Amino acid sequence: MDLQSGENTVDLTGNFERVEARLEAAASLLERAVALMVERDSERSGDVQRIVAAVETNRGAGREAELEKKLEAAEQQIAELRAQVRTHAESGTETRAKTARKTIPASTAQFLAKQGLSTLESLEAGALDAALHGLSLEQRIAVKAQLLRAGVVS
Amino acid sequence: MQLEAMAVHLPEVADHPNRAPFTGVLTLVDEPSTKPPSGARGHRVILTRRAALSALPSLLGMAVDYAPSWDGHDARRKCGIITQADVDGARLRVAGYLFAKDFPEVERQMRHGLPGAMGMSWELADAHVEDMRAEIWTLTRATFTGAAILLREKAAYRNTSFELAAARCRSNTPRPALSERVQAEATRHLRNGVTTASRSAGNRKESTWICRAAKTQSI
Repeated sequence: MDLQSGENTVDLTGNFERVEARLEAAASLLERAVALMVERDSERSGDVQRIVAAVETNRGAGREAELEKKLEAAEQQIAELRAQVRTHAESGTETRAKTARKTIPASTAQFLAKQGLSTLESLEAGALDAALHGLSLEQRIAVKAQLLRAGVVS
Repeated sequence: MQLEAMAVHLPEVADHPNRAPFTGVLTLVDEPSTKPPSGARGHRVILTRRAALSALPSLLGMAVDYAPSWDGHDARRKCGIITQADVDGARLRVAGYLFAKDFPEVERQMRHGLPGAMGMSWELADAHVEDMRAEIWTLTRATFTGAAILLREKAAYRNTSFELAAARCRSNTPRPALSERVQAEATRHLRNGVTTASRSAGNRKESTWICRAAKTQSI
């Protein structure tokens, strides 16, 4: 019973809201119609309620200019913030890349260690080429590919 | 030249600290405005001489106001009063007082601003436009509800003007020679029985009296 009355209340509220919206729309239409009728009546009769012999100063224009200025400042700020975020993101990526663990196959690591390259943190191109000097072209390519996959070289 | 004039006579008060007499050209009659006035839906307007003359009584006693930016009307800043109006040729001249003590900034602007920079603007109510479809609206009937002091460039009629008298007048507004004749004529007119409220020049009662001299004078 309670459940049913609750559902009824929800239905009624929904109905009221719909009716309210329709009434608001009707009132708005009526207002527009009245404004049009007044304007037409004024045109027909030639009567004007108020005229002021001052040039129409568009006070809204000043406000508009002010808002435009604010918008420009806001856009500039947004651009600066975006640039900052981009910079942070890039530096973050670099940091992540630097801090990422570099894993290479054990055989490659052993081979590089034999050639005197025990650390991969500061691997220089010249040193790597010198270390791979004794290998065939295919082997050099394979080792470099492994290092590239591991992120040791870029 | 034709002159139609009307004035409100205020009692003389020597060295009144709050009265700074002014004169000005409020508008031109039978001539189109330089720019469209506010409320005229983009049309320039012509205030006909007949309409201006009919509306002269409504102008007397109306306030002059100003906007701090000197670009329009502000009916809540009434800084003076119009006591005299003449239609002199095409010019509708007005005279009156500024409340100089209450509005020192207005007096300062008038005395220290660029000469000839200030003009005037009327405010009309219940105006009748002959043909609202015309490019230039012809106003055939109106009621003056006020006036404003503003920059000439902001006035719909560029050839308006506003000037303070060189020094504070010890009594009434500085009446142009033209108006003095009208005033004398009007006084004579009153004495001849148009009104029973005959008052001597020395009467200093704090009441005002309206003297109608709406008659054409050939000068």
